[in-house]
Amino acid sequence: MKIFTYIALLFTLPINFSIIRYNYSYFGDVIHSAPGLSYAQTFSERTLNTPLVSPEDLVVYEDLIYIISSGSNALVVVNDNFNLEHSVTQFPLSEAYRDRLFETTPLLLETLVDYRIATIVAINEARANAVATIQALSFLELEQRTEFITDIELLNNTFIANIQDNVVPNDIGAIQQQANTAYSDILDEAFELNEEQTVEPDPEDEEAEAEEPIVKPAPVALVTQPELLGVLNHRNLSGPMGLDVKDTGIYIADTGNRRILKANHAFEIVDEFSQINDITFDNLEFAPLKITTDTTGRMYVIARDVFEGIIELDTDGSFNRYTGVNPIRLSPVDIFNRFWMTDAQIDRLPKFLPTSYTNVTMSPENFIYATSLASANNSDNMIQLINPKGIDVLIRNGYHTPKGDIQFIEGMNNYVIDGPSRLVDIALYRDGIYTVLDSRRSRLFTYDSEGNLLYINGEAGQQLDKFSNGVALEYFGDNLLVLDRELRTVIVYEHTEFGQKVNQAIYHHERGEFELAAILWEEVLVLNTNYEVAYNGIGKFHLRNGDYQRAMEYFRFGYDKYYYSRAYKSYRNEIIKDNFGYIFLAILAIPAIMITFQQIKKRKGR
Amino acid sequence: MNKVKSILHDYLSFPRYIMMHPFDGYDEFKTEKKGKLSVALVFIGLFALLRILTYQYESFLINERNPMLINNLQEIFVVALLISLFVTANWSVTTLMEGKGKYKEILMVTGYSLFPVILIGYPALFISNLLTLEEMAFYTLAIGIAYFLTAWMLFMGILNIHQYGLFKTVGAFLLTVVSMMVMMFLGLLFFDVIQQIIAFISAIIEELGLRR
Repeated sequence: MKIFTYIALLFTLPINFSIIRYNYSYFGDVIHSAPGLSYAQTFSERTLNTPLVSPEDLVVYEDLIYIISSGSNALVVVNDNFNLEHSVTQFPLSEAYRDRLFETTPLLLETLVDYRIATIVAINEARANAVATIQALSFLELEQRTEFITDIELLNNTFIANIQDNVVPNDIGAIQQQANTAYSDILDEAFELNEEQTVEPDPEDEEAEAEEPIVKPAPVALVTQPELLGVLNHRNLSGPMGLDVKDTGIYIADTGNRRILKANHAFEIVDEFSQINDITFDNLEFAPLKITTDTTGRMYVIARDVFEGIIELDTDGSFNRYTGVNPIRLSPVDIFNRFWMTDAQIDRLPKFLPTSYTNVTMSPENFIYATSLASANNSDNMIQLINPKGIDVLIRNGYHTPKGDIQFIEGMNNYVIDGPSRLVDIALYRDGIYTVLDSRRSRLFTYDSEGNLLYINGEAGQQLDKFSNGVALEYFGDNLLVLDRELRTVIVYEHTEFGQKVNQAIYHHERGEFELAAILWEEVLVLNTNYEVAYNGIGKFHLRNGDYQRAMEYFRFGYDKYYYSRAYKSYRNEIIKDNFGYIFLAILAIPAIMITFQQIKKRKGR
Repeated sequence: MNKVKSILHDYLSFPRYIMMHPFDGYDEFKTEKKGKLSVALVFIGLFALLRILTYQYESFLINERNPMLINNLQEIFVVALLISLFVTANWSVTTLMEGKGKYKEILMVTGYSLFPVILIGYPALFISNLLTLEEMAFYTLAIGIAYFLTAWMLFMGILNIHQYGLFKTVGAFLLTVVSMMVMMFLGLLFFDVIQQIIAFISAIIEELGLRR
């Protein structure tokens, strides 16, 4: 048995040591801690068998995983077995949106009808040509000829039917192209047959060659009002960066097309928003990067080069306001310098721009969790919880401000990655637990609703269980998905035993079930004795139970000064109550004795 | 009995008298030689001890120091260095400014002026462990008063010892701070140069050893 254990250790220890497993103590020291998440499985471009070039965002909605890819301009939908469900590159217009476009855009309908008629004429022409050609191919057997004719007929019928079904112009162009290629394929086949079967000299051949140019797609030139048709034409994505999927629909921040695309769950375009009615966009192109929506369908958008904050758009796409502005903090030296400078000098200084947000995620209560970059001298509000009023209300009661790594090297350095964490996405788990993704060091930091750092995970690398350029993360049930742009992979993490117990304890704690929570915290402490958060959880249970001395002991381990003070106050009161008789006696007796002594002295002296 | 009385007088009554009546007190201190160097040194030692004890035993509720990083020698060294630096700097400045105080007297004034911190600090340190977070304001207030009184005694002591006016004392303090900085700079420079010389010599020795 002993030997077996040693052999098992020989294999498992290197694996265990290779994982980053640390946490920050109350004093900011890096201490050993069990990891909360571990690698479960992965799915990638290869296993999905669909192009996934530089994926940018990942959203979970009702058992489906939606991934937006800016390189292949596709929306990839993956089901809960991690198999490909859909890969959408073209979004047809929904009936309602098309009708509305025709209503709101003058002449659009007329243009379209003209275009359609012209196309049908052209196709009929092509068909007549085709029939003529077939007839000219006199060398063919009769049977084969009829076969060809029926082929052509069939082709023609499907085209006509297609055109009847589909009013959208660039489809028609495609169908024309398709018709031409199909037709030439058939001709080629015929010629091949000819060379095999007949030995006749071919004047017909020349004839056929001469006839081919007739089938040129002449009607393409008929597009007289392309800008009008362009309204109908935006069916493809161009470098989309952001995605959100809610009951109200699929929202895509279509960055290259400078618009937000709203589609329904059948992937039909319902609406698109490209005009933002704000003074900022008078001389700036609206390039949306990330988007999230609340339950009513209001959109919260981060756009490129916009420093005013998060753009809030109403359900109909009209501009509401900017919300959650990142404050700038000037250092005292800056303020002092600016005090002496003239306006002209201040203008020539480098501008102090608020750092831009990197991502937004809507909580079920319509509060926005946002991540932003650290500014030069302030890395404390890299994670924000923006309430509907636009104010940051994130609770930062943990030992340290939630901001990823607390200890890091600053300044130029060739050997290690320096600077604060670069948080690029945030994912919400239940009970207010949230995880942020640090793309600089490829780490995941999980916090609870109070701002306590629960566990740290992840490591940069090319191996299956590591990621090198994480861009998005999302909870999928109890699993955590991390999207890697470089490896085109989604890594699925599951909670370890430690992580599960911590989460479960927080679940009970949130519901005031301190006893159940305390039992779980005890189990957590068996797995990780350094875990200071757990001591506080147990301490709260003892405080409720009136076991103040134990509570104090645990709060002392957990460095919770507020609760320690409360426990101590009760403990002190208890002692005073128990010994009130003695204390009162002392208060009475000491002055009495002193007075007596004084009297005795006086009398002696007399 | 008499000995106890004289110790009590030296360590409690007389410093208290100086604190309450700085002009009369420091006059006696200087002219009648009532101040004792041993008392000053004991006060300095007690101050260093207080710092160490505060580091370790201040109430958990306001003690933000990491107990893993406590270093007694460092605490003692910091106190000794600061006081010797101050005394030397003040002496060097005031001799140029026609101060009447001697080096020993300045050292004694500095030691005696730590009296309020010691007198209030030790009981406050004990009482801080009996207070809750809300009541901790009293503790910080007491400590604040102690340090204010220390500053008061130091200021008055320097003023009286050198027989300066008010503004001259303020100027002397400012110049003292400047000269403390200069001394620290020179000290660092000295250590750096010494280090380099040692490295140089050791390199030469090593080289000679290799050439042999």
